[in-house]
Amino acid sequence: MTLANAVVLNLYRAENFQRPAGGVLCVVVMVAWTAFAVGAYAAPRRRTAGLLAADLAVAVALLAATPVVKGEGFNATVPGFWVAGALLAWAVRYRWVGGLVAAAVLAAVDLLVRQEVTQANYGNVFLIVIGGPIVGFMCGSLQEMAVQRDRAERSAAAAAERARLARAVHDGVLQVLSLVQRRGAELGGEAAELGRLAGEQESRLRTLIRTQERTTDAAGAAAGAAPTLDLAVELGRLESRAAVSVAAPATPVELPAEVVHELCAVVGACLDNVAVHVGERAPAWVLLEAFPDRVEVSVRDEGPGIPAGRLEQAAAEGRLGVSGSIRGRVADLGGTATLSTGSFGTEWEIVVPVGDPRG
Amino acid sequence: MSTGPGDEQLRVMVVDDHPMWRDAVERDLQQAGFDVVAVAATGAEALARFKAARPQVVVLDLQIPAPDGVEVTREALAHDPSARVLVLSASGEQADVLEAVKAGATGYLVKSASRAELLDAVRRVAHGDTVFTPGLAGLVLGEFRRLADPTASADPAQPQLTERETEVLKMVAKGMSYKQIAERLVLSHRTVQNHVQNTLRKLQLHNRVELTRWAIQQGLDED
Repeated sequence: MTLANAVVLNLYRAENFQRPAGGVLCVVVMVAWTAFAVGAYAAPRRRTAGLLAADLAVAVALLAATPVVKGEGFNATVPGFWVAGALLAWAVRYRWVGGLVAAAVLAAVDLLVRQEVTQANYGNVFLIVIGGPIVGFMCGSLQEMAVQRDRAERSAAAAAERARLARAVHDGVLQVLSLVQRRGAELGGEAAELGRLAGEQESRLRTLIRTQERTTDAAGAAAGAAPTLDLAVELGRLESRAAVSVAAPATPVELPAEVVHELCAVVGACLDNVAVHVGERAPAWVLLEAFPDRVEVSVRDEGPGIPAGRLEQAAAEGRLGVSGSIRGRVADLGGTATLSTGSFGTEWEIVVPVGDPRG
Repeated sequence: MSTGPGDEQLRVMVVDDHPMWRDAVERDLQQAGFDVVAVAATGAEALARFKAARPQVVVLDLQIPAPDGVEVTREALAHDPSARVLVLSASGEQADVLEAVKAGATGYLVKSASRAELLDAVRRVAHGDTVFTPGLAGLVLGEFRRLADPTASADPAQPQLTERETEVLKMVAKGMSYKQIAERLVLSHRTVQNHVQNTLRKLQLHNRVELTRWAIQQGLDED
């Protein structure tokens, strides 16, 4: 483009040339060099310092040749804007420093070969000096961004691969732990104890994986919003306790973080109570249900139950104990906790009103 | 473990990509007198061998190479609706289990379940019963609650549980056995069983309707 511009302008102003043959030679050199440079710059390994220096030298030489072929007092240099090619090459290759150096050299030569510096000349030179470093700087930023993007893409791919490997490993470990648990229980004796331990670890690992998956899923969606937690996930953590089974919906139950913490603490207290009164390894079940206006959590065990009146008696004696603490904490959340007991065991029903657990 | 009558004729297929586990389950089933007609390690193998071996019960791991367990459940039951699918999963991946149940699986057991529990589950599933864990009951319950939420969708055809079904399902989710539930609600064991089965049937029916509707919409959009 700049070549065509220079060639046409030079033809147009052919009468300005004092030595037409020299002018033609200059134009031929420009065409030849442009053709060569386009080919040379095409391959990265040929973009050497030598080529860049030569490019700039040709531009400078053409500038310097101007007074010779056009005579003193010329208006436009032979190459004109064509020198911008060398300038941009330097800026692209050596960033803003290269742009500045090339611009300074071209500007100095341009000004030196002129007899007088007009406003327009000065403007052109100034544009060159400004443009060189700016293009260089932009190239630098672009390349840096590209590098950063590549790095981000690589780390995302690595994370995905790690997650895939972790899933495969976890799955394998879970399979082995389950198998040990089953076989151990069948063999009895010490093997049964090993099996039981394997079972506990299996359920702990399973809970961990589930929790991780849900939190990473939710992290993106919940970023920036008020701190909420998925009650289903948090209650799910309780499954790592021996013989505790947690049933919850498949969809997240998002509630304010402090409500979730408090509810988990309350359910934890209920389970502690089971461990104390029924047995360390007594089975217990937690059920979470989400409604548009409330959440319901129930904790059931198959213990002998609490004899009627015993809690009231304890309260009368000034011992508020576990049931008082559970009721109090749920009441603080604006909800109710009801205890029922009978042949089916003991069951806490905790109901807490919420805005919309899914919204 | 007694070998009940009719077990010899019970044709079972085991699908699991872990050879160790697959062998263990196969051995347990064979020792109990079941006829293990096929085993498979991937979804593709499972579907091919299902058609050839025509098992009555598929003991299926959800985490298998493609197509996944949910897809295998759907395809296998489309091919032979009389077959039963018992999901045996180590991962406890809730959403997958729910999807498999919607696709037609009628039983779910975690892999840490004992040998006796597994054999019992295979027999019950084969006889048309549903095998629920408390965890699965919680998932199904949650799904119906979600469908019933008027803000989620305004579809009048949403499946709904009766009060009794909800009550029974809640009790299953709280870890009560069918026998305990029957005693507490003064119902027969069979009635409790039916209530549980109905909840699954409603969910599966709804899922089929949704799939059909989706397919029709896709078809219309293409025109």
